[in-house]
Amino acid sequence: MTTRNRIAVVGLGTVHQAPEGTSQRMMAAEAARRAIADAGLSISDIDGAIDLRRTGGGGDRASYTDAFTRVLGLPAQFYFTIGRGGALGGLATAAATGFLDRGLAKYIVCVGAVDDWTKAQAAKKQGHRGMSHTEKEGYWGKVLGDLRAASHHSWMAARHMAVYGTTSEQLGAISVAQRAWACLNPEARMHGRPITIEDHQASPWVVEPYHLLDVSLISDGAIAFVLTTEDRAKDCARTPVYVSGQGFGEVAADLWWKKENFTHMAVAPAKEKAFAQAGLNGVEDIDCAQLYDCFTAEVLFQLEDYGWCKKGEGGEFVAAGNIGRGGTIPVNTGGGLLSNWHLGDLTGYAEAVTQLRGEGGDRQIDDCKVALTTGHGGELVSPGMCSIHTSTILAVD
Amino acid sequence: MTDEKTWSKPRPNIDADSREFWDGLTRHELLLWTCEKCQTAYWPKSYCINHENTEFAENMSWQPSTGLGRIFAMNRHEYSFHPGFKEDVPYFYALIELDEGPLISSTIIGKQPTSVIADVGRRVRIAYEDHPEEGFTLPRFELIDE
Repeated sequence: MTTRNRIAVVGLGTVHQAPEGTSQRMMAAEAARRAIADAGLSISDIDGAIDLRRTGGGGDRASYTDAFTRVLGLPAQFYFTIGRGGALGGLATAAATGFLDRGLAKYIVCVGAVDDWTKAQAAKKQGHRGMSHTEKEGYWGKVLGDLRAASHHSWMAARHMAVYGTTSEQLGAISVAQRAWACLNPEARMHGRPITIEDHQASPWVVEPYHLLDVSLISDGAIAFVLTTEDRAKDCARTPVYVSGQGFGEVAADLWWKKENFTHMAVAPAKEKAFAQAGLNGVEDIDCAQLYDCFTAEVLFQLEDYGWCKKGEGGEFVAAGNIGRGGTIPVNTGGGLLSNWHLGDLTGYAEAVTQLRGEGGDRQIDDCKVALTTGHGGELVSPGMCSIHTSTILAVD
Repeated sequence: MTDEKTWSKPRPNIDADSREFWDGLTRHELLLWTCEKCQTAYWPKSYCINHENTEFAENMSWQPSTGLGRIFAMNRHEYSFHPGFKEDVPYFYALIELDEGPLISSTIIGKQPTSVIADVGRRVRIAYEDHPEEGFTLPRFELIDE
Protein backbone atom coordinates (compact mmCIF):
# COMPACT_ATOMS: atom_id res chain seq x y z
CA MET A 1 0.00 0.00 0.00
CA THR A 2 1.11 3.50 -0.77
CA THR A 3 1.70 5.88 2.09
CA ARG A 4 0.60 8.79 -0.06
CA ASN A 5 -2.26 10.92 1.21
CA ARG A 6 -5.43 9.39 -0.22
CA ILE A 7 -7.90 11.44 -2.27
CA ALA A 8 -11.51 11.55 -1.13
CA VAL A 9 -14.90 12.61 -2.43
CA VAL A 10 -16.28 14.84 0.32
CA GLY A 11 -19.20 16.56 -1.37
CA LEU A 12 -21.88 15.54 -3.85
CA GLY A 13 -24.42 17.82 -5.51
CA THR A 14 -27.04 16.87 -8.07
CA VAL A 15 -29.55 18.81 -10.09
CA HIS A 16 -32.06 16.22 -11.16
CA GLN A 17 -34.77 17.07 -13.66
CA ALA A 18 -34.30 20.82 -13.63
CA PRO A 19 -37.08 22.87 -15.20
CA GLU A 20 -36.98 22.44 -19.00
CA GLY A 21 -34.87 25.12 -20.60
CA THR A 22 -32.48 25.64 -17.64
CA SER A 23 -29.06 26.39 -19.13
CA GLN A 24 -26.15 24.04 -18.68
CA ARG A 25 -24.16 26.80 -16.95
CA MET A 26 -26.89 27.39 -14.36
CA MET A 27 -27.36 23.68 -13.70
CA ALA A 28 -23.59 23.28 -13.33
CA ALA A 29 -23.32 26.25 -10.98
CA GLU A 30 -26.21 25.00 -8.85
CA ALA A 31 -24.84 21.45 -8.65
CA ALA A 32 -21.44 22.88 -7.64
CA ARG A 33 -23.07 25.06 -4.98
CA ARG A 34 -24.86 22.02 -3.57
CA ALA A 35 -21.73 19.85 -3.58
CA ILE A 36 -19.71 22.50 -1.76
CA ALA A 37 -22.45 22.91 0.86
CA ASP A 38 -22.74 19.12 1.18
CA ALA A 39 -19.05 18.99 2.09
CA GLY A 40 -19.57 21.61 4.76
CA LEU A 41 -17.34 23.99 2.83
CA SER A 42 -17.89 27.48 1.46
CA ILE A 43 -17.19 28.80 -2.00
CA SER A 44 -14.08 30.59 -0.77
CA ASP A 45 -12.54 27.23 0.27
CA ILE A 46 -12.55 25.94 -3.31
CA ASP A 47 -9.30 26.66 -5.12
CA GLY A 48 -9.61 24.38 -8.14
CA ALA A 49 -12.45 23.82 -10.63
CA ILE A 50 -12.91 21.29 -13.39
CA ASP A 51 -15.75 21.59 -15.91
CA LEU A 52 -16.72 18.23 -17.39
CA ARG A 53 -17.75 18.49 -21.01
CA ARG A 54 -18.19 15.64 -23.44
CA THR A 55 -16.18 17.43 -26.09
CA GLY A 56 -13.48 18.32 -23.59
CA GLY A 57 -13.66 22.04 -24.36
CA GLY A 58 -13.77 21.37 -28.08
CA GLY A 59 -15.50 24.63 -28.81
CA ASP A 60 -19.23 24.00 -28.75
CA ARG A 61 -19.63 26.11 -25.63
CA ALA A 62 -17.93 29.29 -24.51
CA SER A 63 -15.06 28.73 -22.13
CA TYR A 64 -15.17 31.75 -19.87
CA THR A 65 -18.71 33.11 -20.07
CA ASP A 66 -20.02 29.55 -19.79
CA ALA A 67 -17.75 28.66 -16.89
CA PHE A 68 -19.68 27.68 -13.78
CA THR A 69 -16.97 29.40 -11.76
CA ARG A 70 -17.90 32.70 -13.42
CA VAL A 71 -21.62 32.07 -12.79
CA LEU A 72 -21.02 31.11 -9.15
CA GLY A 73 -18.38 33.73 -8.40
CA LEU A 74 -16.01 30.95 -7.43
CA PRO A 75 -12.46 32.28 -7.05
CA ALA A 76 -10.60 29.13 -8.11
CA GLN A 77 -6.90 29.33 -8.86
CA PHE A 78 -7.45 27.16 -11.91
CA TYR A 79 -10.39 26.24 -14.08
CA PHE A 80 -10.32 23.99 -17.10
CA THR A 81 -12.52 21.68 -19.12
CA ILE A 82 -11.95 17.99 -19.50
CA GLY A 83 -13.97 15.05 -20.75
CA ARG A 84 -14.34 12.58 -23.51
CA GLY A 85 -17.88 11.55 -24.30
CA GLY A 86 -19.18 9.69 -21.28
CA ALA A 87 -15.75 9.55 -19.64
CA LEU A 88 -16.05 12.52 -17.29
CA GLY A 89 -15.86 11.76 -13.58
CA GLY A 90 -13.07 9.24 -14.00
CA LEU A 91 -10.91 11.69 -15.94
CA ALA A 92 -11.67 14.56 -13.54
CA THR A 93 -10.69 12.41 -10.60
CA ALA A 94 -7.37 11.49 -12.19
CA ALA A 95 -6.61 15.11 -13.08
CA ALA A 96 -7.61 16.39 -9.65
CA THR A 97 -5.47 13.75 -7.95
CA GLY A 98 -2.40 15.23 -9.59
CA PHE A 99 -3.25 18.76 -8.49
CA LEU A 100 -4.05 17.71 -4.92
CA ASP A 101 -0.96 15.50 -4.63
CA ARG A 102 1.24 18.35 -5.75
CA GLY A 103 -0.38 20.82 -3.40
CA LEU A 104 -1.66 22.95 -6.27
CA ALA A 105 -5.12 22.91 -4.74
CA LYS A 106 -6.77 22.00 -1.45
CA TYR A 107 -10.35 21.46 -2.59
CA ILE A 108 -11.39 20.87 -6.19
CA VAL A 109 -14.96 20.96 -7.46
CA CYS A 110 -15.79 18.98 -10.60
CA VAL A 111 -19.09 19.47 -12.44
CA GLY A 112 -20.80 18.07 -15.50
CA ALA A 113 -24.10 19.32 -16.91
CA VAL A 114 -26.26 18.35 -19.88
CA ASP A 115 -29.39 19.80 -21.48
CA ASP A 116 -29.88 17.03 -24.02
CA TRP A 117 -33.57 16.65 -23.27
CA THR A 118 -34.27 20.34 -23.84
CA LYS A 119 -32.15 20.36 -27.00
CA ALA A 120 -33.91 17.26 -28.35
CA GLN A 121 -37.31 18.88 -27.87
CA ALA A 122 -36.09 22.04 -29.63
CA ALA A 123 -34.70 20.02 -32.54
CA LYS A 124 -38.03 18.25 -32.95
CA LYS A 125 -39.82 21.58 -33.20
CA GLN A 126 -37.22 22.96 -35.58
CA GLY A 127 -37.66 20.11 -38.07
CA HIS A 128 -35.62 20.28 -41.28
CA ARG A 129 -34.08 23.69 -40.85
CA GLY A 130 -30.34 23.72 -40.62
CA MET A 131 -30.06 19.95 -40.83
CA SER A 132 -28.13 19.76 -44.10
CA HIS A 133 -24.85 20.61 -42.43
CA THR A 134 -21.34 19.47 -43.20
CA GLU A 135 -20.06 16.76 -40.94
CA LYS A 136 -17.56 17.67 -38.20
CA GLU A 137 -13.90 17.50 -39.08
CA GLY A 138 -12.49 13.99 -39.10
CA TYR A 139 -15.83 12.22 -38.84
CA TRP A 140 -17.15 9.68 -41.29
CA GLY A 141 -20.50 8.18 -41.97
CA LYS A 142 -23.24 10.75 -41.32
CA VAL A 143 -23.78 11.24 -45.04
CA LEU A 144 -24.24 7.45 -45.31
CA GLY A 145 -26.70 7.19 -42.44
CA ASP A 146 -24.38 6.76 -39.43
CA LEU A 147 -26.34 9.34 -37.54
CA ARG A 148 -26.24 8.61 -33.85
CA ALA A 149 -24.38 6.47 -31.33
CA ALA A 150 -26.91 3.67 -31.88
CA SER A 151 -25.86 3.61 -35.54
CA HIS A 152 -22.50 2.09 -34.69
CA HIS A 153 -22.72 0.90 -31.07
CA SER A 154 -25.35 -1.60 -32.19
CA TRP A 155 -22.66 -3.28 -34.29
CA MET A 156 -21.01 -4.42 -31.10
CA ALA A 157 -24.19 -6.05 -29.83
CA ALA A 158 -24.72 -7.62 -33.26
CA ARG A 159 -21.17 -8.89 -33.42
CA HIS A 160 -21.44 -10.41 -29.93
CA MET A 161 -24.65 -12.11 -31.05
CA ALA A 162 -22.98 -13.41 -34.22
CA VAL A 163 -19.88 -14.70 -32.41
CA TYR A 164 -21.33 -15.97 -29.12
CA GLY A 165 -25.01 -16.50 -29.82
CA THR A 166 -26.15 -13.83 -27.38
CA THR A 167 -29.85 -13.02 -27.82
CA SER A 168 -31.95 -9.88 -27.70
CA GLU A 169 -33.90 -11.36 -24.77
CA GLN A 170 -30.65 -11.65 -22.83
CA LEU A 171 -29.84 -8.00 -23.48
CA GLY A 172 -33.40 -7.30 -22.39
CA ALA A 173 -32.61 -8.87 -19.02
CA ILE A 174 -30.16 -6.01 -18.41
CA SER A 175 -32.79 -3.46 -19.27
CA VAL A 176 -35.36 -5.15 -17.02
CA ALA A 177 -32.92 -5.47 -14.09
CA GLN A 178 -31.92 -1.83 -14.25
CA ARG A 179 -35.53 -0.75 -14.49
CA ALA A 180 -36.22 -2.73 -11.33
CA TRP A 181 -33.41 -0.79 -9.63
CA ALA A 182 -34.91 2.47 -10.92
CA CYS A 183 -38.22 1.51 -9.37
CA LEU A 184 -36.44 1.55 -5.99
CA ASN A 185 -35.02 5.02 -6.69
CA PRO A 186 -37.61 7.79 -6.32
CA GLU A 187 -35.40 10.24 -8.24
CA ALA A 188 -35.08 8.00 -11.32
CA ARG A 189 -36.77 9.13 -14.50
CA MET A 190 -38.36 5.69 -14.89
CA HIS A 191 -39.36 5.25 -11.25
CA GLY A 192 -42.77 3.63 -11.02
CA ARG A 193 -42.60 2.16 -14.53
CA PRO A 194 -41.47 -1.48 -14.21
CA ILE A 195 -40.91 -3.47 -17.40
CA THR A 196 -40.76 -7.13 -18.42
CA ILE A 197 -38.76 -8.99 -21.06
CA GLU A 198 -41.97 -9.00 -23.12
CA ASP A 199 -42.09 -5.20 -22.91
CA HIS A 200 -38.46 -5.07 -24.04
CA GLN A 201 -39.17 -7.36 -26.98
CA ALA A 202 -42.30 -5.43 -27.92
CA SER A 203 -40.56 -2.03 -27.84
CA PRO A 204 -39.82 -0.79 -31.37
CA TRP A 205 -36.55 -1.47 -33.10
CA VAL A 206 -34.42 1.65 -33.19
CA VAL A 207 -31.39 0.14 -34.86
CA GLU A 208 -31.73 -3.65 -34.93
CA PRO A 209 -30.45 -5.48 -32.83
CA TYR A 210 -31.35 -2.64 -30.46
CA HIS A 211 -34.90 -2.12 -29.34
CA LEU A 212 -35.91 1.20 -27.82
CA LEU A 213 -35.46 -0.35 -24.36
CA ASP A 214 -31.79 -1.13 -25.11
CA VAL A 215 -31.07 2.58 -25.47
CA SER A 216 -30.16 5.02 -22.69
CA LEU A 217 -32.17 8.06 -21.70
CA ILE A 218 -31.80 11.68 -22.79
CA SER A 219 -31.59 13.99 -19.79
CA ASP A 220 -31.23 17.50 -18.41
CA GLY A 221 -29.27 17.93 -15.23
CA ALA A 222 -25.93 18.28 -13.50
CA ILE A 223 -23.75 16.38 -11.06
CA ALA A 224 -20.91 17.90 -9.03
CA PHE A 225 -18.45 16.49 -6.57
CA VAL A 226 -15.73 17.93 -4.36
CA LEU A 227 -12.36 16.20 -4.00
CA THR A 228 -9.72 16.79 -1.37
CA THR A 229 -6.90 15.01 0.42
CA GLU A 230 -7.47 12.52 3.23
CA ASP A 231 -6.21 14.78 6.01
CA ARG A 232 -8.63 17.53 5.02
CA ALA A 233 -11.43 15.06 4.25
CA LYS A 234 -11.56 14.04 7.89
CA ASP A 235 -12.57 17.60 8.82
CA CYS A 236 -15.38 17.79 6.25
CA ALA A 237 -19.05 17.32 7.06
CA ARG A 238 -19.53 13.93 5.43
CA THR A 239 -18.00 10.48 5.64
CA PRO A 240 -15.14 10.52 3.14
CA VAL A 241 -15.47 8.27 0.10
CA TYR A 242 -11.94 7.38 -0.94
CA VAL A 243 -10.64 6.99 -4.46
CA SER A 244 -8.80 3.76 -3.84
CA GLY A 245 -7.80 2.92 -7.41
CA GLN A 246 -7.93 4.13 -10.98
CA GLY A 247 -6.91 2.80 -14.36
CA PHE A 248 -7.56 3.54 -18.02
CA GLY A 249 -7.54 1.70 -21.30
CA GLU A 250 -8.11 2.47 -24.98
CA VAL A 251 -9.47 0.02 -27.52
CA ALA A 252 -8.50 2.11 -30.53
CA ALA A 253 -5.54 -0.09 -31.39
CA ASP A 254 -7.61 -3.25 -31.11
CA LEU A 255 -10.16 -1.64 -33.34
CA TRP A 256 -8.02 -0.32 -36.13
CA TRP A 257 -5.32 -2.93 -36.33
CA LYS A 258 -6.50 -6.10 -34.70
CA LYS A 259 -10.24 -5.76 -35.37
CA GLU A 260 -10.90 -7.34 -32.02
CA ASN A 261 -12.76 -4.73 -30.10
CA PHE A 262 -16.28 -5.47 -31.14
CA THR A 263 -16.90 -7.86 -28.30
CA HIS A 264 -14.89 -6.21 -25.54
CA MET A 265 -14.02 -2.90 -23.94
CA ALA A 266 -10.55 -1.70 -22.92
CA VAL A 267 -11.06 -3.15 -19.47
CA ALA A 268 -7.89 -5.25 -19.10
CA PRO A 269 -5.30 -2.48 -18.59
CA ALA A 270 -7.74 -0.32 -16.62
CA LYS A 271 -8.71 -3.15 -14.28
CA GLU A 272 -5.12 -4.22 -13.70
CA LYS A 273 -4.05 -0.79 -12.46
CA ALA A 274 -7.21 0.09 -10.55
CA PHE A 275 -7.50 -3.22 -8.74
CA ALA A 276 -3.80 -3.27 -7.84
CA GLN A 277 -3.93 0.24 -6.35
CA ALA A 278 -7.09 -0.61 -4.42
CA GLY A 279 -5.62 -3.87 -3.16
CA LEU A 280 -8.48 -5.90 -4.59
CA ASN A 281 -7.99 -9.60 -5.24
CA GLY A 282 -10.75 -9.74 -7.82
CA VAL A 283 -14.32 -8.86 -8.63
CA GLU A 284 -15.52 -10.76 -5.57
CA ASP A 285 -14.21 -7.81 -3.51
CA ILE A 286 -16.61 -5.39 -5.21
CA ASP A 287 -19.95 -4.73 -3.51
CA CYS A 288 -21.67 -2.91 -6.37
CA ALA A 289 -20.74 -2.00 -9.93
CA GLN A 290 -21.83 1.16 -11.71
CA LEU A 291 -21.01 0.14 -15.28
CA TYR A 292 -21.26 2.61 -18.13
CA ASP A 293 -24.46 1.65 -19.94
CA CYS A 294 -25.09 3.84 -22.95
CA PHE A 295 -26.63 0.67 -24.41
CA THR A 296 -27.34 -2.75 -22.90
CA ALA A 297 -24.48 -4.63 -24.59
CA GLU A 298 -21.85 -2.38 -22.98
CA VAL A 299 -22.95 -3.75 -19.59
CA LEU A 300 -22.72 -7.32 -20.87
CA PHE A 301 -19.21 -6.74 -22.27
CA GLN A 302 -17.96 -5.28 -19.01
CA LEU A 303 -19.38 -8.12 -16.89
CA GLU A 304 -17.33 -10.48 -19.05
CA ASP A 305 -14.25 -8.26 -19.30
CA TYR A 306 -14.00 -7.72 -15.53
CA GLY A 307 -14.48 -11.41 -14.95
CA TRP A 308 -17.88 -11.84 -13.31
CA CYS A 309 -18.39 -14.41 -16.05
CA LYS A 310 -16.44 -15.76 -19.01
CA LYS A 311 -16.31 -14.07 -22.41
CA GLY A 312 -19.38 -15.08 -24.33
CA GLU A 313 -21.34 -16.13 -21.24
CA GLY A 314 -22.64 -12.68 -20.30
CA GLY A 315 -26.06 -13.38 -21.79
CA GLU A 316 -26.69 -16.35 -19.53
CA PHE A 317 -25.23 -14.48 -16.57
CA VAL A 318 -27.62 -11.54 -16.80
CA ALA A 319 -30.62 -13.70 -17.69
CA ALA A 320 -30.05 -15.71 -14.50
CA GLY A 321 -30.70 -12.59 -12.41
CA ASN A 322 -27.13 -11.95 -11.32
CA ILE A 323 -27.17 -8.15 -11.63
CA GLY A 324 -30.35 -7.36 -9.74
CA ARG A 325 -31.11 -7.06 -6.07
CA GLY A 326 -29.60 -10.02 -4.20
CA GLY A 327 -27.65 -11.10 -7.28
CA THR A 328 -23.95 -11.91 -7.57
CA ILE A 329 -23.11 -8.29 -8.37
CA PRO A 330 -25.64 -5.48 -8.10
CA VAL A 331 -25.19 -3.39 -11.27
CA ASN A 332 -26.33 0.19 -11.86
CA THR A 333 -28.26 0.26 -8.63
CA GLY A 334 -29.92 3.62 -9.27
CA GLY A 335 -31.22 2.52 -12.67
CA GLY A 336 -28.19 3.67 -14.66
CA LEU A 337 -28.24 5.57 -17.92
CA LEU A 338 -30.97 3.23 -19.16
CA SER A 339 -33.53 4.04 -16.46
CA ASN A 340 -32.25 6.70 -14.05
CA TRP A 341 -30.72 9.60 -15.96
CA HIS A 342 -27.88 10.17 -18.40
CA LEU A 343 -25.00 12.32 -17.26
CA GLY A 344 -22.28 10.13 -18.69
CA ASP A 345 -20.22 8.29 -16.09
CA LEU A 346 -21.27 10.86 -13.47
CA THR A 347 -24.57 8.98 -13.12
CA GLY A 348 -22.74 5.90 -11.83
CA TYR A 349 -20.17 7.95 -9.92
CA ALA A 350 -22.91 9.72 -7.94
CA GLU A 351 -24.71 6.43 -7.34
CA ALA A 352 -21.50 4.83 -6.04
CA VAL A 353 -21.02 7.70 -3.58
CA THR A 354 -24.67 7.39 -2.50
CA GLN A 355 -24.31 3.64 -1.90
CA LEU A 356 -20.99 4.00 -0.05
CA ARG A 357 -22.52 6.64 2.21
CA GLY A 358 -25.36 4.22 2.93
CA GLU A 359 -27.94 6.66 1.57
CA GLY A 360 -29.49 4.40 -1.06
CA GLY A 361 -32.83 4.11 0.73
CA ASP A 362 -34.87 1.23 -0.66
CA ARG A 363 -32.08 0.31 -3.08
CA GLN A 364 -29.24 0.37 -0.53
CA ILE A 365 -26.78 -2.54 -0.80
CA ASP A 366 -26.03 -4.12 2.57
CA ASP A 367 -22.58 -3.34 3.94
CA CYS A 368 -21.43 -1.53 0.80
CA LYS A 369 -17.74 -0.73 1.19
CA VAL A 370 -16.26 -0.97 -2.31
CA ALA A 371 -17.84 0.26 -5.54
CA LEU A 372 -16.58 0.07 -9.11
CA THR A 373 -17.56 2.90 -11.42
CA THR A 374 -16.65 2.97 -15.10
CA GLY A 375 -16.80 5.41 -17.99
CA HIS A 376 -16.59 5.25 -21.76
CA GLY A 377 -16.22 7.84 -24.41
CA GLY A 378 -14.35 9.28 -27.31
CA GLU A 379 -15.99 8.77 -30.65
CA LEU A 380 -13.50 7.56 -33.19
CA VAL A 381 -13.98 8.27 -36.82
CA SER A 382 -16.46 5.62 -37.89
CA PRO A 383 -16.41 2.85 -36.94
CA GLY A 384 -17.15 5.20 -34.10
CA MET A 385 -17.10 3.61 -30.75
CA CYS A 386 -16.13 4.61 -27.29
CA SER A 387 -12.40 4.01 -27.21
CA ILE A 388 -11.53 4.96 -23.63
CA HIS A 389 -12.51 2.85 -20.64
CA THR A 390 -12.05 4.40 -17.22
CA SER A 391 -12.10 2.30 -14.08
CA THR A 392 -12.46 4.01 -10.71
CA ILE A 393 -12.73 2.19 -7.39
CA LEU A 394 -14.44 4.19 -4.66
CA ALA A 395 -14.44 2.90 -1.09
CA VAL A 396 -15.21 3.73 2.50
CA ASP A 397 -13.15 2.59 5.48
CA MET B 1 -23.90 25.71 -55.15
CA THR B 2 -25.70 23.20 -53.08
CA ASP B 3 -29.40 23.33 -52.52
CA GLU B 4 -31.25 21.90 -49.55
CA LYS B 5 -34.15 21.12 -51.88
CA THR B 6 -32.07 18.51 -53.64
CA TRP B 7 -29.79 17.42 -50.79
CA SER B 8 -31.27 17.17 -47.32
CA LYS B 9 -28.63 14.94 -45.72
CA PRO B 10 -25.41 15.88 -43.94
CA ARG B 11 -22.46 16.44 -46.26
CA PRO B 12 -19.06 14.78 -45.96
CA ASN B 13 -16.25 16.80 -44.44
CA ILE B 14 -13.56 16.59 -47.11
CA ASP B 15 -10.20 17.89 -45.93
CA ALA B 16 -6.57 17.82 -46.98
CA ASP B 17 -6.14 14.29 -45.66
CA SER B 18 -9.18 12.83 -47.41
CA ARG B 19 -9.37 14.87 -50.65
CA GLU B 20 -7.61 12.25 -52.78
CA PHE B 21 -9.82 9.50 -51.35
CA TRP B 22 -12.98 11.42 -52.28
CA ASP B 23 -11.56 12.32 -55.69
CA GLY B 24 -10.90 8.61 -56.24
CA LEU B 25 -14.53 7.78 -55.53
CA THR B 26 -15.71 10.20 -58.22
CA ARG B 27 -13.52 8.21 -60.67
CA HIS B 28 -15.01 4.99 -59.24
CA GLU B 29 -11.82 3.99 -57.51
CA LEU B 30 -11.68 3.03 -53.83
CA LEU B 31 -8.29 4.21 -52.62
CA LEU B 32 -6.51 2.98 -49.53
CA TRP B 33 -3.58 4.69 -47.87
CA THR B 34 -0.83 2.16 -48.46
CA CYS B 35 2.72 1.81 -47.19
CA GLU B 36 5.19 1.61 -50.06
CA LYS B 37 7.65 -0.34 -47.89
CA CYS B 38 5.44 -3.10 -46.45
CA GLN B 39 2.24 -2.70 -48.53
CA THR B 40 0.04 -2.50 -45.43
CA ALA B 41 -3.17 -0.64 -46.28
CA TYR B 42 -4.91 1.89 -44.03
CA TRP B 43 -8.05 3.93 -44.03
CA PRO B 44 -8.32 6.76 -43.16
CA LYS B 45 -4.85 8.24 -43.62
CA SER B 46 -2.30 7.43 -40.94
CA TYR B 47 1.35 6.57 -40.39
CA CYS B 48 2.38 2.94 -40.89
CA ILE B 49 2.54 1.09 -37.56
CA ASN B 50 5.05 -1.51 -38.74
CA HIS B 51 8.23 0.58 -38.90
CA GLU B 52 9.65 4.11 -38.82
CA ASN B 53 8.02 6.59 -41.20
CA THR B 54 9.32 9.53 -43.16
CA GLU B 55 8.00 13.06 -42.55
CA PHE B 56 4.24 13.41 -42.79
CA ALA B 57 4.03 9.70 -43.75
CA GLU B 58 5.46 10.39 -47.19
CA ASN B 59 6.46 6.74 -47.36
CA MET B 60 2.79 6.06 -48.11
CA SER B 61 0.38 6.79 -50.94
CA TRP B 62 -3.20 6.22 -52.06
CA GLN B 63 -3.51 2.93 -53.96
CA PRO B 64 -6.59 1.29 -55.49
CA SER B 65 -8.40 -1.38 -53.50
CA THR B 66 -10.10 -4.39 -55.03
CA GLY B 67 -13.28 -3.05 -53.47
CA LEU B 68 -14.01 -6.53 -52.17
CA GLY B 69 -14.60 -7.49 -48.58
CA ARG B 70 -16.81 -9.17 -46.02
CA ILE B 71 -19.48 -7.96 -43.63
CA PHE B 72 -17.82 -7.72 -40.22
CA ALA B 73 -20.84 -6.40 -38.31
CA MET B 74 -24.21 -5.05 -39.36
CA ASN B 75 -27.34 -3.37 -38.12
CA ARG B 76 -30.67 -2.33 -39.57
CA HIS B 77 -31.83 1.24 -39.07
CA GLU B 78 -35.57 1.25 -38.50
CA TYR B 79 -35.77 4.81 -37.25
CA SER B 80 -34.72 7.94 -39.09
CA PHE B 81 -32.58 10.04 -36.75
CA HIS B 82 -32.40 12.78 -39.36
CA PRO B 83 -35.15 14.09 -41.63
CA GLY B 84 -32.95 13.52 -44.68
CA PHE B 85 -33.18 9.75 -44.16
CA LYS B 86 -36.94 9.45 -43.81
CA GLU B 87 -37.26 7.83 -47.22
CA ASP B 88 -34.26 5.56 -46.64
CA VAL B 89 -35.39 3.58 -43.57
CA PRO B 90 -35.20 0.73 -43.07
CA TYR B 91 -31.60 0.36 -44.25
CA PHE B 92 -28.77 -2.04 -43.47
CA TYR B 93 -25.64 -0.26 -42.27
CA ALA B 94 -22.57 -2.48 -42.25
CA LEU B 95 -18.99 -2.47 -41.14
CA ILE B 96 -16.99 -3.98 -43.99
CA GLU B 97 -13.61 -5.65 -43.61
CA LEU B 98 -11.90 -5.03 -46.92
CA ASP B 99 -9.72 -7.79 -48.36
CA GLU B 100 -6.73 -5.45 -47.96
CA GLY B 101 -7.42 -5.22 -44.22
CA PRO B 102 -9.01 -1.90 -43.29
CA LEU B 103 -12.53 -1.53 -41.95
CA ILE B 104 -14.91 0.86 -43.68
CA SER B 105 -18.63 1.38 -43.20
CA SER B 106 -21.57 2.01 -45.48
CA THR B 107 -25.03 0.78 -46.38
CA ILE B 108 -25.93 -2.29 -48.41
CA ILE B 109 -27.70 -1.49 -51.67
CA GLY B 110 -29.38 -3.79 -54.19
CA LYS B 111 -30.40 -7.21 -52.94
CA GLN B 112 -30.92 -6.82 -49.19
CA PRO B 113 -29.47 -9.00 -46.44
CA THR B 114 -31.92 -11.14 -44.50
CA SER B 115 -30.39 -10.93 -41.01
CA VAL B 116 -28.07 -8.60 -39.12
CA ILE B 117 -26.59 -11.68 -37.47
CA ALA B 118 -26.69 -14.51 -40.00
CA ASP B 119 -25.32 -12.41 -42.85
CA VAL B 120 -22.12 -11.52 -41.00
CA GLY B 121 -19.27 -12.84 -43.12
CA ARG B 122 -21.11 -12.42 -46.46
CA ARG B 123 -19.00 -11.22 -49.39
CA VAL B 124 -19.57 -7.69 -50.64
CA ARG B 125 -18.25 -5.42 -53.38
CA ILE B 126 -18.16 -1.67 -53.54
CA ALA B 127 -20.78 0.18 -55.59
CA TYR B 128 -20.47 3.85 -56.46
CA GLU B 129 -23.35 6.25 -55.99
CA ASP B 130 -22.67 9.45 -57.92
CA HIS B 131 -23.98 12.84 -56.86
CA PRO B 132 -22.39 15.11 -59.47
CA GLU B 133 -24.54 18.10 -58.50
CA GLU B 134 -23.13 17.81 -54.96
CA GLY B 135 -19.59 17.16 -56.14
CA PHE B 136 -19.10 13.78 -54.46
CA THR B 137 -19.61 10.06 -54.96
CA LEU B 138 -20.67 7.90 -52.05
CA PRO B 139 -19.27 4.40 -51.53
CA ARG B 140 -21.99 1.78 -51.04
CA PHE B 141 -21.68 -1.99 -50.92
CA GLU B 142 -23.63 -4.81 -52.53
CA LEU B 143 -23.84 -8.49 -51.69
CA ILE B 144 -22.06 -10.83 -54.09
CA ASP B 145 -21.94 -14.61 -54.32
CA GLU B 146 -18.88 -16.37 -52.88
